[in-house]
Amino acid sequence: MNFPLLSIIRNGIATQKQAFPNLPDEAEGLPGFSKTDCNPGECGKCAALCPAKAISCDQNEVKIDRGLCIGCSICFKSCPSGVIINDRSTTTAVFKREDLIISNKTPVITPAKPLKMPFRKSLHVREVSTGDNITDFEAVAASNPVFDMARYGIQVTASPRFADALLVTGPVGKAMQEPLRRCREAMAEPAIVIAAGTSAISGGLFAGGYAEANGVDSILPVSCYIPGDPPHPWSIIYGILLAMGRISKAD
Amino acid sequence: MENNSGIFTRIQETPENLKTVAKKKLNQPGWRFGHITARVTEAGSFVVETLLLNTREGKGLVIESLLPENNPEYPSLTPDIPAAHRAERALGDFFGITAKDHPHWHTLILSSDAWEPDLTPLSPTCRGKREPFLFTNVTGEGVHEIPVGPIHAGIIEPGHFRFSCAGEIITHMDIRLGYQHRGVEKRLTEINWQNTRFTAESNSSDTAAGNALAHSIAIEQIADINPPERAQYLRTISLELERLANHIGDMGALSGDIGFSAGAALFSQNRGYVLGMAQLLTGKRTQRYYIKPGGVSRDADSSTLKKLAENCIILKKTMKEHIPLVLENSAVIERMENTGILSQRMAKDFGIVGPAGRASGSGYDARTVFPHGVFPEYAPAPAFYKTGDVLSRAKVKADEIFSSIEIIEKIIANIPAGEYELKNLPSNLRPESYGIGITEAWRGELIHWITTDSKGKISRYSIKDPSFNNWTGLGIAVRGNLVADFPLCNKSFNLSYSGSDL
Repeated sequence: MNFPLLSIIRNGIATQKQAFPNLPDEAEGLPGFSKTDCNPGECGKCAALCPAKAISCDQNEVKIDRGLCIGCSICFKSCPSGVIINDRSTTTAVFKREDLIISNKTPVITPAKPLKMPFRKSLHVREVSTGDNITDFEAVAASNPVFDMARYGIQVTASPRFADALLVTGPVGKAMQEPLRRCREAMAEPAIVIAAGTSAISGGLFAGGYAEANGVDSILPVSCYIPGDPPHPWSIIYGILLAMGRISKAD
Repeated sequence: MENNSGIFTRIQETPENLKTVAKKKLNQPGWRFGHITARVTEAGSFVVETLLLNTREGKGLVIESLLPENNPEYPSLTPDIPAAHRAERALGDFFGITAKDHPHWHTLILSSDAWEPDLTPLSPTCRGKREPFLFTNVTGEGVHEIPVGPIHAGIIEPGHFRFSCAGEIITHMDIRLGYQHRGVEKRLTEINWQNTRFTAESNSSDTAAGNALAHSIAIEQIADINPPERAQYLRTISLELERLANHIGDMGALSGDIGFSAGAALFSQNRGYVLGMAQLLTGKRTQRYYIKPGGVSRDADSSTLKKLAENCIILKKTMKEHIPLVLENSAVIERMENTGILSQRMAKDFGIVGPAGRASGSGYDARTVFPHGVFPEYAPAPAFYKTGDVLSRAKVKADEIFSSIEIIEKIIANIPAGEYELKNLPSNLRPESYGIGITEAWRGELIHWITTDSKGKISRYSIKDPSFNNWTGLGIAVRGNLVADFPLCNKSFNLSYSGSDL
């Protein structure tokens, strides 16, 4: 006999209570910095090993561009002095592209909020995939019962006409640039654009080729960047809430 | 061109004879069409390479045909071997090579107006303009067209479908892809081989483990290295976890597409459970960058493996409870049965692979023939259905969910101790060689084909995603169905757009 209701009741509530938890211990997140010091002028191992050229070392400073980072974990696995560490935080989204570049020297600066933040209570999102299907999978996961972004007032809509925000995943190759532009034009103002995933932020591994897949902000102005390849569903939800202005410092 | 794996043989044939030789081989039992691609020699001439696979003995045959310098065209294989029709059109797009007498000769991937009309990205010289994309014009009383896409209503990838309908019934569907073309194959020849694995995975990044494994096998054939045995076991767990996660996700998506919310909710949660197992093994839910040439990027200690084995037992119990909720539910069966039928003949002719092929009586599972990970030793009996409708595709996936759990349990019980990676990989690949990695990814047979030049640099990297041929299968399966059943048909194939667009 077939009793779906019984299974649902037995299954209980699946939704995670704690918002934006750190990833579990076994997980590998994005690279971050510990408080230890190193000598990047002499070592430079991380910059040489990084396949995405996201790390630069000069005399006394190591810089990581999370907008280029593909999350391969090679840097923190091979860092001899323990300066680069595994950052398992899911609160990684930022407002400005340059805020994704982190350094071991500069103390953390809390970025200023943009003046225009038109959406506070709820947001209707149109997802546009432009070449990286794994971020789509995580975006689907963000609306499943476990992460359940609908509880924060975030809905995925079927048409840009109903949408307040565009969530763009993928590097936007030449053939997708015009459809993306027209999708943005079809939206009613005010509207915002969110770039999710490394390839959407910078084109990632595809940047600079003949397909001109160099990320979203070469096509449209972007309000919020969510790093990660792909970002965790919690990172995506955090990024959307950040773009809405729903994240205060206490979160 | 060398390959020491003992799987592939290579013969030369003139372009004129290619068709006859290939056809003769394919008429023998067990042979199927693998892939057709081209490369440019260092002297600047074009070589068309055809891969045929023997699915009984696990062997492959590469037929190499040098095209005349002044006239890069050859007689098309498609009239005799329909499975080649998309790959030949891709050759036209990327190299400007013409397949003479191709019945449907127009652009496939570079179909958007945004591309320069004479762009041939993989050819050193310009070869003139492409044939523009043409939609099939269906005429008749009451026939109307419904254009859909490239941007769709759900969270899925972009692609344009044009339905020609008589009333509510789809008589024909044209599929126009290429919106996500981002130059993967060209990029893979521009970077040094140690970094190619990252881009090779991004071919269709939801198949990270399958792509990385096919890439690693191809590189290992060229570099003449053998990964440690423990690595092979860990790779297989990763590959099977990916299959589990995606098949379970598909069961949920199929339920969602027919409005059975209970199934959609339960299975998306179960998928998350498998992704958690994947994170335990590889550090990432999506298993990216785990499998690499020479092994895997991290070891699994005994407590991790023990936990995975415990998770397998729980998962098996959950699946035994949840899968019948969908597949034994009369309301679900009513929608899925006899919907989107792909006949056995069509599936064979167009080279449909993976669960879609096995639902249409193909019985081909690369795990049973081609060595990858611990296969074919641990290979399951291929799932086998003949009706080719949405229900049989769902049943194939359900069968494979259980067989994958069993494989993982068996592997964890038998995993040998030892190294998980080779420490010192050669800095250069062997020159003038080729490697072909064939894996059964969750969507089906996936081929990575790498060729090196006289300096040991990768000169050609060709990928055949399982979706590449299966798109034709979807186009055939939707004919005669309601427009409203299209999402269901589409989801039962669940094809990758980016893997096809590259």
